[in-house]
Amino acid sequence: MKRRTFLGAAMSAPMLSTAAWSQEPLSMWARSDVANVIRPFVDTFNAKGKTQIKLDIVVAREMVQKYAAAAAARSAPDFLLLDLIYTPAFASADQLQDLSPWTKEMPYFESLSPAHRKLGELDGKLYGLPFSAEGSVLVYNKKLFREAGLDPEKPPKNWGEITDAAVKIRALGGDRYGYYVPGAGAAAFRFLPVVWANGGEVLSADGKKATIDSPQLREAIGFYRDLWAKKVMPESVVADTGPDALTGFAAGRVGMTITGAFAIGVLTTRYPDVEFGVTPIPGKNGGFASFAGGDNIVVSRGTRRLPAIREFVDFAYSLEGQSLLGKYGSLPVRGDIAAAALKENDPRYLTVAEAVNKGGRTPRSSVYNDLFNSLNGPWVTLHQRAIFGNDVDGAIAQAQATFQRIINEAN
Amino acid sequence: MASPAAPATRKETWKEKLRRSLRGEGGVVGQERWLGVLLILPALVLLTAFFLVPLVMVGWMSLHNWPLLGRPRFIGLRNYATMLTDTGFWHALWFSAKYTIVVTIAIFAVAFPLAFFVERPRPFVGFFRTAFFLPVVLGLGSASLLWVWLSNVDFGLFSPALMKLGLIDRPVSWLMQPTSAFISIIVMVVWKASGTSIVLLLTGLQAIPPELKEAASIDGARGWQRFRYITFPLIRRTFALALILSVTHSVLAFDQFYIITAGGPDNSMLSAVYWIMNTSFVSFKLGYGAALSIALLALLVLLSIVQLYLLRTKEGQ
Repeated sequence: MKRRTFLGAAMSAPMLSTAAWSQEPLSMWARSDVANVIRPFVDTFNAKGKTQIKLDIVVAREMVQKYAAAAAARSAPDFLLLDLIYTPAFASADQLQDLSPWTKEMPYFESLSPAHRKLGELDGKLYGLPFSAEGSVLVYNKKLFREAGLDPEKPPKNWGEITDAAVKIRALGGDRYGYYVPGAGAAAFRFLPVVWANGGEVLSADGKKATIDSPQLREAIGFYRDLWAKKVMPESVVADTGPDALTGFAAGRVGMTITGAFAIGVLTTRYPDVEFGVTPIPGKNGGFASFAGGDNIVVSRGTRRLPAIREFVDFAYSLEGQSLLGKYGSLPVRGDIAAAALKENDPRYLTVAEAVNKGGRTPRSSVYNDLFNSLNGPWVTLHQRAIFGNDVDGAIAQAQATFQRIINEAN
Repeated sequence: MASPAAPATRKETWKEKLRRSLRGEGGVVGQERWLGVLLILPALVLLTAFFLVPLVMVGWMSLHNWPLLGRPRFIGLRNYATMLTDTGFWHALWFSAKYTIVVTIAIFAVAFPLAFFVERPRPFVGFFRTAFFLPVVLGLGSASLLWVWLSNVDFGLFSPALMKLGLIDRPVSWLMQPTSAFISIIVMVVWKASGTSIVLLLTGLQAIPPELKEAASIDGARGWQRFRYITFPLIRRTFALALILSVTHSVLAFDQFYIITAGGPDNSMLSAVYWIMNTSFVSFKLGYGAALSIALLALLVLLSIVQLYLLRTKEGQ
């Protein structure tokens, strides 16, 4: 008897859940890097009282494997914010829905961030819509600049000025350092723009050829080796894979570091005592570059809740949505209303937005993760070996060979 | 051989049979063998569901080009052929071998003396036993995170503490150089894992009848001789178990390298499992990762057989 009742209950359960289905909250994933922005963003959206979203934050470097596992188990979220770098890989693996029908109803579509759209396109379809933009910039501590006798309103415009400022700040002594970049990770976002700003390229335009060994890259490495030799960076940079990238700067102990718009949000909300300025990442003799990053909104192939997701997309592209991005440490993606969206925000966001608009680039490669993201991959290894090691030529030759091998294997 | 069954006047119920075999009456022979099967059934089910089935699946995957996202394609044994020229994997295997040898020797060098120390009743022996075993109940992940923090050159514990003690004059970043980082991780693992070996060896030591050692002492055997001819032969099986567990854990080491140095510095600490993880989840080649896993499993089985053979107890001893 008991068993039968139990069976009966089990059989009616699916029917119940089908009935409840339309009221269930939308499931959404976002990577931990953007947690600061997306949490209040979703809260604001949910507070409107219509469609509800259940947000899960996934550790950034585990996003792809978590999603793959969930997709295989048919428990993928309805939609997610995907590091735009991964959009080509997801789209070509047939995991996403084509969103191009929506774009016809978006009069502002052409003003959406080109970098995002470019990475979202595949075979004439559009698998990703821009959600938030990000870019790398140089931030500097104005208080330390002043103490070191530098003009806090005149940020460095070339490598010589960076080195000079770093040495003067280090000369203040104690645990105050001139410069900080993680040595063993997060090197694409931070070091690629240094090479780019110097006119260097690491991949050919079609992504098929590695061009690591160039005078421009050698100069960029020489610039960092010099900073390291002058002891303006703390020793802990060598082993830092990224978690401590902002720690020293937030504590007011680091003069300059390379970071992104997200850091403006972190610093202003959590470390209001740090008085800092933002400036583009300069080249050896001026000019600048930035790593254009950010997130795309992508929709899982299996979901049937497109109208509800569309509601979220429309909110994201409203002036309110675009303003929220800037408020919590990201950049708007709608060019036509970006200035209006940032008007009430910290003006430093505009500096980042400008650096991205005028000098922003994103490498497109189907093996991006292997080449640039992997903590054991050739880019991070080159960064660590060539800057902090003794064999620059060997490190560069090895990186060139490994890059090319990984690219060849994928084709 | 079947022993003559007792003439049954009536058929036993299964409860009686269970009771009888639990009391140890009558060997589990002949038709009673099903009882034994019944008793290990839950274990068999678990083994099938969580080991055999996944193993077969991994074997099947290893015959495919199986991307993390996308459709798998059957390629036969090509993954295994790729393995032969994959220098990265061979480097990782070599590192795992080096690590296994060093950490196993280190663990036993610590575990043996400590096991002898806590074997006999002495003041505070309970405290020492607990203290030696306590790190084992910590997760390896938490222990590794703790180690990262303790080793941090600026706001950790080791550097500032050693400076206060006057042993070093400036902070040392152990995790910066390959050799010192390797030693640092070995120290952490010995601290964390030797408790298991201590407890195993302790049970072995305590199972030795004291009369044997007394008799040996009376016959004039000295400390080392007593260990060589009495103690060690009698704890041989326990030692083999502790050794195999330690070697297996070390060959499969991953967490500590992933958490403490992310395989660095300078990729010097990429273990075999780390390489498999990178292949599967960074390069997204699940099929090839599966093939590497199968190879590692075969190697591990081989290692265990060799160890069991070397430490076998001869018949009649």
